[in-house]
Amino acid sequence: MGLLTILKKMKQKEKEMRLLMLGLDNAGKTTILKKFNGEDINTISPTLGFNIKTLEHKGFKLNVWDVGGQKSLRSYWRNYFESTDGLIWVVDSADKRRLMDCRNELDGLLLEERLAGATLLVFANKQDLPGAFPAEEIRKTLRLDEIKTHHWMIIGCSAVTGENLLYGIDWLIDDIASRIFTMD
Amino acid sequence: METEENVEIAQKGSIRDEFLEAAEVKDLTDSLSAIYKDQIAVELAIEKFTRIVDEYQEQPHLMDPYMEEMLVRILNIARRRDHDPALSHLAFKFMYLLTKARGLKTVVRLLPHEVVDLEPVLNYIYQQDATDYETWETRYMLFLWMSIICMIPFDMARLDSNAQTATGEVREPTMLRILNIGKRYLSVCDKSRDAAAWMVAKFLTRQDVKNEQLPDFMDWSIKTMTEVDLETMPGMTALSGVMMAMAQLFKHGKREDLVEYAPILLTTMIDLNLFEVKNTQIRKFAIKLTQRLGLTFLKSRVAAWRYKRGSRSLAENLKANGMGDTVPKVKEEDLDEDYDVPEQVEDVIEKLLVGLRDTDTVVRWSAAKGVGRITNRLPQELADQVVESVLELFSSVERDEAWHGGCLALAELGRRGLLVPERLPEVVPVVLKALLYDEKRGACSVGSHVRDAACYVCWSFARAYDPEVIKGHVNNIATSLVIATIFDREVNCRKAASAAFQENVGRQGTFPHGIDIVTTADYFAVSSKVNTYLNISLYIAQFEEYTQAMIDHLTTIKIAHWDFVIRELTSQALHKLTVKDPEYMKSQVVTRLIPLCTGIDLNTRHGATLAVAEIVHALSLLAQSEDRTIADYLDGECISALKKITSTMEIGKMFKGMTGEVLKPAACELIQKLSLSKLPCPEQDTVDHWQSVLDDSIIETLRTVTDIHDKAVLALRALCNQYYQLENGQPIPAKQDEILNRYMTAAKSGQEFTRMGATMALGVLPKFFILGKVDQVIETLLGAATKTATSEKFAEARRDAFTAMSSICTTVGISRSESKEGISPSQLKEIFTALFEGMKDYTMDSRGDVGAWVREACMVSFTEIMQLVLQLDQSLLDQGSYIFLIQNLVQQAAEKIDRTRGVAGGILLKLLHQESPVVPYIPHREELIKIFPKSDIELLNWSAPSDCFPKITQLLTLPQYQYHVLLGLTVSVGGLTESLVKHSGTSLLSFLRNHNSPDELQTVTDIVLKIFRDFQKIDRVSLPMMKMADLLLSSGSFDNLLTSKESSFPTSLLKTLKAEINKSADAQKLLISIDLFCSLIQFEGNIRRKCLSQLFLFLCHRYPKIRKTAANKLYEALLVYDDIFPEENSETVQELLTETNWQDSISAVRPIRNQLCDLVGIPKPIVKTKQSKAEEGDDQT
Repeated sequence: MGLLTILKKMKQKEKEMRLLMLGLDNAGKTTILKKFNGEDINTISPTLGFNIKTLEHKGFKLNVWDVGGQKSLRSYWRNYFESTDGLIWVVDSADKRRLMDCRNELDGLLLEERLAGATLLVFANKQDLPGAFPAEEIRKTLRLDEIKTHHWMIIGCSAVTGENLLYGIDWLIDDIASRIFTMD
Repeated sequence: METEENVEIAQKGSIRDEFLEAAEVKDLTDSLSAIYKDQIAVELAIEKFTRIVDEYQEQPHLMDPYMEEMLVRILNIARRRDHDPALSHLAFKFMYLLTKARGLKTVVRLLPHEVVDLEPVLNYIYQQDATDYETWETRYMLFLWMSIICMIPFDMARLDSNAQTATGEVREPTMLRILNIGKRYLSVCDKSRDAAAWMVAKFLTRQDVKNEQLPDFMDWSIKTMTEVDLETMPGMTALSGVMMAMAQLFKHGKREDLVEYAPILLTTMIDLNLFEVKNTQIRKFAIKLTQRLGLTFLKSRVAAWRYKRGSRSLAENLKANGMGDTVPKVKEEDLDEDYDVPEQVEDVIEKLLVGLRDTDTVVRWSAAKGVGRITNRLPQELADQVVESVLELFSSVERDEAWHGGCLALAELGRRGLLVPERLPEVVPVVLKALLYDEKRGACSVGSHVRDAACYVCWSFARAYDPEVIKGHVNNIATSLVIATIFDREVNCRKAASAAFQENVGRQGTFPHGIDIVTTADYFAVSSKVNTYLNISLYIAQFEEYTQAMIDHLTTIKIAHWDFVIRELTSQALHKLTVKDPEYMKSQVVTRLIPLCTGIDLNTRHGATLAVAEIVHALSLLAQSEDRTIADYLDGECISALKKITSTMEIGKMFKGMTGEVLKPAACELIQKLSLSKLPCPEQDTVDHWQSVLDDSIIETLRTVTDIHDKAVLALRALCNQYYQLENGQPIPAKQDEILNRYMTAAKSGQEFTRMGATMALGVLPKFFILGKVDQVIETLLGAATKTATSEKFAEARRDAFTAMSSICTTVGISRSESKEGISPSQLKEIFTALFEGMKDYTMDSRGDVGAWVREACMVSFTEIMQLVLQLDQSLLDQGSYIFLIQNLVQQAAEKIDRTRGVAGGILLKLLHQESPVVPYIPHREELIKIFPKSDIELLNWSAPSDCFPKITQLLTLPQYQYHVLLGLTVSVGGLTESLVKHSGTSLLSFLRNHNSPDELQTVTDIVLKIFRDFQKIDRVSLPMMKMADLLLSSGSFDNLLTSKESSFPTSLLKTLKAEINKSADAQKLLISIDLFCSLIQFEGNIRRKCLSQLFLFLCHRYPKIRKTAANKLYEALLVYDDIFPEENSETVQELLTETNWQDSISAVRPIRNQLCDLVGIPKPIVKTKQSKAEEGDDQT
């Protein structure tokens, strides 16, 4: 295996990104994924396992892992951390009751060694629902400004209308792409 | 050179843009259930599928858009349990082929992973027979499938709610069942072990499994590792299975979960000394696992600079100007310098450093990556110590493996930014040295892998360092990379260097003239070293940052290269580079090189001599263009040193022996170039010495493999031109006599090589030098071109003589009258007579048909001289000669040697379509032009039998060519090469099918007989003739003729055949004749009887092989022609022929033979007395 082989492999791998989509149950993770993929979003039931979808966007191949958010499933999230380039944290902006729950889970993830270096995108989802907290509010509640270990951004969005989904993903891809690729 | 370019084309050819076979794959998949029982159909399907996926081996990602669909379709066949397992196995085999092509990581993601899949798949695995070597793909795929299913986020315990079998026993918990089957497969010897290891590792990283099973599994693993017998294959297999699983586990698992087990594993491996076992696999896994353990001891860390070095891919980086501003400012993690590094890390690093000099590349690779990854997690001080240890590998006492491993490690460190800027002054020189690493081993050398790895280091610099940091080293690195890009011998190193250069230009932007060089010396341009040495080098040399470094590299390193092709290219490159810096060449390079010409090392001596010759020549051309001379450029001291080179060589006995063979061509080159450079040389001594060197090379040399003659005769011409010509253009008379006499005498030598040299020399001498002596020279050449008893085998000498004749004709011209100026008509006639004779030269020696060289030279020379004639007066040649030439070209164009056909055919077409002057008297010109239109000059590949024979057989309709075409075809159809025999035979047969009127066939048979008679007992033609006649008879080509009227052909053929084998003891000829005799049996009556008699004679021939073959062939013939003898005897006859051991002694088989004679009704051959035996030698007592 010479330099040319390494370069060839790298060229392929550089074009792939692994994105992990997590959040509490009923946050809308699978809906976001399906909306992206152009699938029907009317018949979505709770994810009891996990989905993997491969999307092509901006010249990159995005392998998106969507794992169920039920409490019983959360302890298995760790199985999916490996070599993650970007973490998409989906929040149900209308579920004010569980925002603290949401904050604790996120805080736990950010301590995870295997997610160190991953870019964080927070989707404040369900902005189309009346009474949803705006993104600014969620930002404060989740104390995002205290995060010093990851590049992050929060954006209000709606999986149903598709609002801001693309903007968020574009930012995520740009951030990942703007750092150098290492094969570890 | 040529091969490299071909490789390049081949690579380009296999590049695809998209996956095109989706529909084909779908059809194949759908057909599986119909064909799986038919072994042949199955094999064809697998072969087809393999061919499809193999096409994408290099770009498997092209399959991605179709991958899921293809996989699911196949999986749906494979997973069904209600049909024949054989079908499932077949489907899994297909899945495996897809996995192999695309890689398991991608495929695994696409497999279904529902809770409901778990139980069936697990059961399926349990039902497999682990020892069935034909279905391992099924097990492999099932384990891969299991590896993704077992990632479902569900408590395994929940699957055991109804964990009772039909018999009511409590079943093992699912978790244990998964783990146990995985463990069992870790020790199988097929590839399913890899998948099992992968699955086990994934499974153990689950929270619940980790909690319940990890400790036990670790105990089991360590126990297995210590207990297996390392001396046996099964032991090794089991060990590598466990280590594979461990390496995966420590890779995927959570560091904190695993760290407690790391020390004991490390100790176990060290105690077992797995780093020094012979088995490469085990050593590789030992290094891999050690690396993972090391990483487990250390906290991970994110590189602080990763956002500062541009985007992921260089192409993106070049496009975008600066990054987006949306990135919030984040303070990167502070370097935590004071945390504890466990003591085991030291052991880990030590093992990895040892792994860097391992004998196997895979182990070194793994070690290098390990060094990179672990150092990444070390505090700076310790990291620097690692760098220091790696640098120790670059010592002159270390082998190439250590250098290679060292470079890989430096690159892995470099790309992670772990070589601190303070280390660069030490690292850079080492890397630059590695870029030139070339260690001689016997006749060749090793080191291309080291150079390639050094390019990797340079590439890594580009990615990790800020331009500011690397600034001080930019020129050195850039220059070295440029030199590697254009002057490395190996194409992969040139390409690697080019890639590294590009990365630096793209990311650093500080390489001088980077963009210009990148666009010129790109991946494709550097494929050909002729191109890089002679063209790209010239382009880059215009940038003065590189010029002198390139010249220095060539004149210090490459002139001493072990490959003489490189040394020659080096000298040619230096010639071209001279114009870029003549001052430097004049003042320093030449004077530095001259002593090296007579130095101690042979390669250097050779390379330096060539280099001096080229540079001086280039300087002289430069001087001429400025109306000056070389003497104005080089000082007197230098010029006299140049003149002394060859005599110093002579005195040093450097022309003796093997080394002389290498050096002499270079010395000739030097003499030629110095002469061409018009080096002032008033002293006779030097010229005399040069002359003696050339004489020695041309006529005193024993046969060598080098091209010494070519070089020497060109030097001789240059020398004559420069030093033997008086002011008035006349030769120095004494010299002319002396030299011509010497070479004319040598041309009569009894040594072929001497003759070759002498005739070549006579051919190239300049006009002024041979005028007045042309008669003698031509006479000498004619002598050398004639076969005599002593020179019968001197085909190469004859070739050179013919070539020399035509070049003399060209040099001095031909004349209409008998004069001393030019070639006279009578000489011309003699020359043509000789050329006609030469075209019939079929001299054979141990190398085969060496006469072909003579024939080719004759065809070329004939044509060249004829062109001169045509321009002057076409009547200097009689009509017959023109016709003869064309007929001969046609014959040669139908013969069996591809190259000769190529020469003949090429000339034929050129003459046919030549317009001014038109070649006169071409027989059947119109028809020929129809058969060979003008476009054939470009399109027809005469060397390819498939292209040329269908065309050339068409000439069989043209009376003036029939004989010649058929004569040529005979040796082709009856030849040995498969494609040749196939295409020529098919073309001939199809011609005869289309021209099968009795009259046409009569003509052909007449010519066949004429050729057979003309070449009676001349094996070159008569042997293939028998084969061809057999083919024609057995294919029924002559049926129209033979049935329509009474033909004398069979009778005549038999007569000629009998005459051919008469008194022959040549077993091969006799064996071939048996076939023809058998074919002739088809003609009833007299002929059949005679043939049978002959075959019965063969049955008692003194060669056992002939007896046996005759019996076999006779048996076959009797099956075909069943009306030969009374039917009631047929069974007995067949039995006797097949059951008898004909290799037994003659006395034993004779009674049987005689019995056969009676049964068939042929008179028994009479055992000969002494007298009659002399007449017929076939049947001996």
